[in-house]
Amino acid sequence: MLVLGIECSTPQASVAIGSEQGVVASALVSRGATHNEFLLPAIRFCLDEAGLGYRNLGGLAVSLGPGLFSGMRVGVATAKALAQTLSVPIVGMASLDLVAYEVRHTSKTICAVLDARRNEVFYAFYRPSPGGIQRMTDYRIEQPGRLAIGIASRPEEVLLVGNGALLYKELFESAGPVVEVAGMNQSFPNACALVELALPRLYREDFDSLYDLRPLYLRKSAKRIEWDRIRQSRSA
Amino acid sequence: MRVGETLWASPEVATEKKPVGEWDEETLVLGIETSCDETSASVVKGGRQILSNVIVSQGELHGEYGGIVPEVAARAHVEALSPAIGEALLQADATFWDLDAVAATRGPGLVGSLLVGVAEAKSIAAVLEVPFLAVNHLEAHLYSALLVEPDATFPAVALIISGGHTLIVHAVNHGAYEILGGTLDDAAGEAFDKVARFLGLDYPGGPEIDRLSLLGDPAAIRFPRAMMNEPGFDVSYSGLKTSVINYVRKQEASGEAISVEDIAASFQQAVVDVQVAKTMAAVEPAGVDRLFLVGGVAANSGLRSGMAAACEAANVKLTVPTMELCTDNAAMIAACGRAMLR
Ligand SMILES: [Zn+2]
Repeated sequence: MLVLGIECSTPQASVAIGSEQGVVASALVSRGATHNEFLLPAIRFCLDEAGLGYRNLGGLAVSLGPGLFSGMRVGVATAKALAQTLSVPIVGMASLDLVAYEVRHTSKTICAVLDARRNEVFYAFYRPSPGGIQRMTDYRIEQPGRLAIGIASRPEEVLLVGNGALLYKELFESAGPVVEVAGMNQSFPNACALVELALPRLYREDFDSLYDLRPLYLRKSAKRIEWDRIRQSRSA
Repeated sequence: MRVGETLWASPEVATEKKPVGEWDEETLVLGIETSCDETSASVVKGGRQILSNVIVSQGELHGEYGGIVPEVAARAHVEALSPAIGEALLQADATFWDLDAVAATRGPGLVGSLLVGVAEAKSIAAVLEVPFLAVNHLEAHLYSALLVEPDATFPAVALIISGGHTLIVHAVNHGAYEILGGTLDDAAGEAFDKVARFLGLDYPGGPEIDRLSLLGDPAAIRFPRAMMNEPGFDVSYSGLKTSVINYVRKQEASGEAISVEDIAASFQQAVVDVQVAKTMAAVEPAGVDRLFLVGGVAANSGLRSGMAAACEAANVKLTVPTMELCTDNAAMIAACGRAMLR
């Protein structure tokens, strides 16, 4: 089965087409074009270069974030529309899972950290398991300083991965000698990992409902936060 | 072969597409509208016949904030659009593969919300290998008039009046428009909403003022009619809004009774007087005998009856869309997209 993967939740956007034999085509960009400008031409490029058409696709995979709101929406909206038009199944995966998956061959506890801007990071903890990773916590949003304290209090060695880990590298490294930060090449969620992780779910028929699929925002809109605060102070 | 593989194979439909230029009254266009707080999808045949027009309103989501919140709107569009498209095709008894083109609003509107509709429309068009049409939302409002009356045509003068816009346009032909005038500050619908909020009415305020005005005396308070007697076709509503606020404050200070119904009726009458006068003044110089009253505020009963009376007196043919086509909807996007195929 050929699967198209779309990842748009960070400043780096990527698309990939692959099957159980591996990725057959991919494209990636992290500056210049907006995600909206990049996406369809990149998919067209991958299809053309691999000698494929849209109708050869048997499934869609999309990264749901957490990440940048506008990018996630473009990715999810595009994936949904493609799946709906082709009437193929769709699966959504978390961006943090994709980043953690890149360092699955470690023996340490993995903490995937993505930049959420406004001095916050999205993160989740994982443990490596045979052939993959196992998530141990919810997807969360936190100030990097507080996450560093949380990491320092853990007894085991922790491998941090993701652009959020790199952005606050010094802060995390100062949390203790048991912390290691993975390099630049694994710092963004990638559509190739997305395709790889989505395939088993598609074969299991563990599909997501097209109509219910939505990005993982984790953060309320600024207006919502303000409104909740006003309401709280009123009821207090 | 594994389970699931053939089950989900894409339909093997002959995709003999019409060569560009061969668009006729059978042409099917899927329209998508996500510029503000309505998610809408529609299938229109031949640019005139509405096969479906699904509108999902987010009104309740924004009600508690007393206005539209862009981030809330964008999130709601992502959730509502795919089901709306599915329903629009179902109601039209069509499949994706029957479509000849896909049209979506490109603006003006909320950037984050527009992006959702454009992304989905472009994706659908890419798979189907049919044209994607980026439609101007204000131009599309003109087509809501063409959708309600089979013999309505350009040229015409149009008043496009909504929460975001107040424009008087000379629509010469498809794609050829001259803007004659507009608002120098608040859009008419914005003035309605602001006055309604000041009076403590429920959101959205426009329909509330319209409802209350039927119970009040439109001549009770003489609010100013800014720019009504000046040349040109521009209007201004911020002064009117301030007069309402000053009036209420003055009455309160002197301990006199306030009738919300009278205020609503008098305020609405001021807007109607100005807008009808300015629009009618544009008809003769434009050399047309047709007027389109379109946009969300065209649903206002005072404006509808005021404009109808003025048009009757001046022997001008007036076209006002149905309530459903006055609000933001995808049928007008599809119809406008169809015209762009010419
Ligand atoms: Zn509108």
